[in-house]
Formats: sequence, structure tokens, C-alpha cells
Amino acid sequence: MSTLPAWLSDERLSADIAPMLSESSGASLERLATEAQALTLRRFGRIVSLYAPLYLSNFCSSGCAYCGFASDRKTPRRRLETGEIEKELVAMKSLGIGDVLLLTGERTSSAGYDYLRRAVETAARHMPRVAVEAFPMTVSEYRGLAESGCTAVTIYQETYDPENYRKLHRWGPKRDFLERLETPERALLGGIRSVGVGALLGLSEPVGEALAMARHVRHLCKTYWKAGIAVSFPRIRPQEGGYQPAYTVDDRFLARMIFAFRIGMPDVELVLSTRETPRFRDGMAGIGITRMSIASRTTVGGYHDPDSAGSSQFEVSDDRSAEAFCQALRSKHLEPVFKNWDTAYNGPVNSEEPACS
Amino acid sequence: MDMISINLNGERREIPASSSVVDMLELTGAGRQQVAVVVNERIVRPDERATTILRENDQVDVLVFAGGG
Amino acid sequence: MDSLQLGSYEFSSRLILGTGKFSSTRVMLDAVRASGTQLVTVALRRFNREQAEDDLFGPLSEIGGITIMPNTSGAATAREAVRAAHISRELSGSPFVKVEIHPNPHHLMPDPIETYEACRILAGEGFLVMPYIPADPVLSKRLEEVGCTSVMPLGSAIGSGQGLSTAEMVRIIIRESNIPVIVDAGLRSPSEACAAMEMGCDAVLVNSAVAVSSDPVAMASAFAEAVQAGRRAKLAGIMPRSGSAVATSPLTSFLGTAS
Repeated sequence: MSTLPAWLSDERLSADIAPMLSESSGASLERLATEAQALTLRRFGRIVSLYAPLYLSNFCSSGCAYCGFASDRKTPRRRLETGEIEKELVAMKSLGIGDVLLLTGERTSSAGYDYLRRAVETAARHMPRVAVEAFPMTVSEYRGLAESGCTAVTIYQETYDPENYRKLHRWGPKRDFLERLETPERALLGGIRSVGVGALLGLSEPVGEALAMARHVRHLCKTYWKAGIAVSFPRIRPQEGGYQPAYTVDDRFLARMIFAFRIGMPDVELVLSTRETPRFRDGMAGIGITRMSIASRTTVGGYHDPDSAGSSQFEVSDDRSAEAFCQALRSKHLEPVFKNWDTAYNGPVNSEEPACS
Repeated sequence: MDMISINLNGERREIPASSSVVDMLELTGAGRQQVAVVVNERIVRPDERATTILRENDQVDVLVFAGGG
Repeated sequence: MDSLQLGSYEFSSRLILGTGKFSSTRVMLDAVRASGTQLVTVALRRFNREQAEDDLFGPLSEIGGITIMPNTSGAATAREAVRAAHISRELSGSPFVKVEIHPNPHHLMPDPIETYEACRILAGEGFLVMPYIPADPVLSKRLEEVGCTSVMPLGSAIGSGQGLSTAEMVRIIIRESNIPVIVDAGLRSPSEACAAMEMGCDAVLVNSAVAVSSDPVAMASAFAEAVQAGRRAKLAGIMPRSGSAVATSPLTSFLGTAS
């Protein structure tokens, strides 16, 4: 493997986060929560921005040990055609959703770049904001997505431990640790406005993952100083095939991690999905978390006709309706926001200016 | 001896015709100092000063380092 | 060793001294020695026979271990600053230049547009460019992009002694910067220099606070110690401030008790 980048092991980039992650540091969880709440209020007000995922296809060429869509799993494969995508988007819009995250598996001939780009074009016609969580692409492919109306790309490193990464990604294009690691940078160079990063918590030793994530975020912020950065905290959930994660990340540690990130990076978007329970989501909203998915379906499609949906990538824990979730947020004096962007602003970041230093 | 008139550090000054920059520096008391010389917006390096001849109405600046923040 | 890296130069002292406003050259040189500084700023002035003893180049060279950083003060445009830089390099042989362009002679605030232009040109010519700028995080990144060696955001107006009034902006600059951040201008006392270093600055530049003190030599060494203390504290890891809001009921009760 070619050399790992210096930032990955640069302790200075995570020095302030490290003590907050340790139970024994004396920083009580309640004190961290209080500080995280104060910072969230100051920087983000009472807003929680909401989005919904739309799984376009579950075709996948990779062999990730932990995923329900791995290519050796017997799950029926499907991909949504344009007409179906539109039906899903219309159904999502009727729930109030104005921010969609389009997902696919790793690159396949059935659901590759051209398919994804067409899907982005379709989505951009219906939704004020379109983001993508798919496979690593080249700079010019990302530029194509940006031109089609995609303004954000999410890609999880899954684990920042190269050894463990190798073991977990048994075959397929996803085996390339460095290529995946550099993906957010390629997206930004291609004119995508924001990137989302994260690790699938539970795969590797959690404190190490948190430190690596912090370094990743800091590196991106310093190098791509005009970019938006968001951090997610997906925690491994049961799925068909029953992969047992090597590490347990309990609620208290996950909360501690989120507080540490909020305190260390007061203006970075922190995201929680419906992997988490209603109790956890409601608790974390406004005290660090500023963005959440809502009314999610992790099956291919499933908004338009839930009964026809096949198997899911992971089990959704919070299956409350959009209405119920918004009620919960409002009762905490938080304001759910569905639309935080408009297609009028779509288009790549100016390609004449470098995106980075 | 023929004299010519140059503009030295913002003031008119008479010097002998065909004076080189080195001659001019001697005349103005800057002979032993570490100075920078600019003639008509062009920096005249130390190794060029003996052979750079000044002409009528040349704009000459002789500069040193002084205190500054 | 924890040294300040500027271009290919390594400095053990993180205090940069300005040489202006001293009552005499003699006092200034003593203060330079007392401060332990290894980088001093100077300005270009027209040679004047009557003031020949005020030329600093020779005396500063005699102290030993000092690198000269000429500034471009007097320049009101990028063009004038570039010209001053060329003349200065000619005179000093030093690749350092402090780009200082302040068109208004009263508040002496730096012109960001002329400064950017001058820096772009001079960095391209191989100078080690150290721009004096408003404490603007975006300008700082743009200057980094065009190849500046550091950025020098002002603490407050030159000579105003208003201290680190730009602290919040400087914090953001430090957070985002890949090049050294050096607070310049407005620092009034050693504690302010110490605070700047604790905040994460890579160095500070001080002039008026030392020069106009009734005992510049003592003040210079006080600043030197303050800069060292602040740097050591920063490296040691300063205790975080506690939270500023007090929740009426526990925020974390939904997490249950520790297992």
C-alpha cells in the first residue's frame, strides 16, 4: 500500500478531543453535554436540519463483512428506474422532505456512474437539495454530479484502521483503503460543496476511530477552507446475515464522542440517522447533533409502496413518522427544518479557483 | 569642471558631470555605509556602481535601514 | 526542539522585535539583545549624512544571530511595496519581507487588496513573505494559497496598545491555518503576548510596547519570558474552560447510569 497521509497519525489534530473521550479524565458526561448544548445553541440556534435517504439500488460488487447488501448475500437485487425514482421523491415530498440523500452500493455495471448521474438529475428536478452516498468516484465524475445538481457527498471510511479495513473488505473495489480515504478530497476538487465523513462505529477500537475522524475533519477544514464538512456517527446495527461487531459502542460513549466533537469543532454539522433509537435521537438533538434523517426507509425505494420493498441495508430503529418526530423536536424547543437550500444555488464550486490551499 | 543637476533623495543637487554612482556616494558622505541606490527607478547593485554614470535630471535615491516596526 | 519554522529558517525565539520609536539606536540595540530575538524588522529610509549613525544594518549585524526583516512601510500600493521589497533585499540580502501597506496615516490599518497583490508577486519571486493584515480568516487563507510564509494578523491598531482585541478572529485563523500565525501590532504588555501564545500563535511581533517603555531593556526581557511561558503552557495543554450554560435538569439522564 502507498504511504498513509501524515494527518492520519498527527496527534496534534486530535489533541483537544482526546481527553474528552476518556471516562477517567474527570470531564463528566453532564458537563460535556452542557458545554455541547451551549455551543450548539450559539452556532446553530435551535435548528435541526432534516433529510431522508433514498436507496436507489442494492446492487453491489463488494464483500463487506458487515453489510446486508454484500455481493454474496442472497438478498434480491433491485434498482429504481427513473419513473420509480420520481414516485419515491413525490412520496417523500408529501412527507415534507426537501433534502434527499441518494444511496447506492459500490460501483457495479447495473448501477454505475451514468445511472447515478441520471438519478441526480431526476432528484434535482424535485428536491431543493440533493446529496449522494455512493461509491468513490474520480474528480471529473464528481464534477459531473455537481453539474447535475448534487451539492454534497457522503462517504464513510468505515474504519480508519488499515489492517482491520483489509480484513473487513474481503473483495471488490472497496478494498482500496487509500482511495476511499481520499474520496472526500476528490469530491471537493470536483466542485462538490460539502462532504460528510464518518466511521462505522463498532468495527474497530472506538477511541482510535474517534481520533482518526477528528484528524480527518481538521485536515479537510484546513485544506479545503471553503468546503462544508459534516460528521456522522453510524453505529453498527443488526442486519440480515448477523455480523457481530468486534467492539461495543454503548450509548454513553457515543454521546461522549458527539459532545467531544461539538466542543472541539463548534461549527461542523453533526449527523445522526435512524439507526439510533427514538430515545437516543431525541436526547441528542440540540446538545450536539444538528442534522438527522427522518422517516427513513433503508430498503430500495419504499416510500411510495412500502409493501413492495425488499430487504434493508440495516434495521431502522426510529421508525416514527415525520410528523411524530417533528413533534418530539418541538417539545424540546427545537425547530425542525426541512429546507435549507435551493436549486437556484446548485452548480459546481467555481472551477477556476482552487478549492484548497 | 562641468556640473550637472540631479535629484538626490528628493532634493536638487549639483555634482560633477560624468560622476559615477560611487563618486556620488563619496560626495554625499555615504561612501562607507551599507546603502541601496536607486537611479530612475532601477536598483543599481554595488558591482555596477563604479560604471553607472549619472546624467542630468536623474532621480536618485540612496537608502538605508532605519528603525521600523 | 520547539523551533519556529519560517521558510528554511529555524528560530528558537518566538519573539520578533520591531526597531522603531526607540529613543536612541543604542537603547534599541540593548533591547534587541535583552529580548533574545533572532528576527527584527527595519524600515527603509533615505540616507542622510547628518543622521548617519541611525543606519541600523551594521550595528544589528554586529549583535550576531539576527536575521533582518525589512518592512515596506511608506508604501501605499502593491507596486510601491514590491519596489521597497526589491530595494530591501538588495540592501540586506535577507529573503524576508514584511508586507505592510497602510494608506491611511492615522489609523494605519492595512490595505487587504494591495497587500494580497504585493504578496502574490513577491511570493512568486521567492521572497519569504510575511504580510501584516487585518485579522481576517478568509484573507489569511488566500494569502496562504499564494505562497506567504506566515500571516501576521493585527492585535489592534499599530501603537494603540489596545491589546488582542481581535482574539476571536485570530483563534479562527490559527485553527484554519497551515502556515505560522504571528500576531503583530497593538500588544501592550507581556501578559498579552503570553495570552497570544497560549491561544496558539506561533510567534508575536512587538515594537511600541518595548520602545516607549521607560525601561525598554527590562521590558524586552519581560516580553521574552512571557512569550516563552505562553508557548510552554500551550504545549503542556491548558485546562479547558467550563461550560457556560447551566441546564435546569440533567441533559444526559436519557443515557442511563454508567454500567
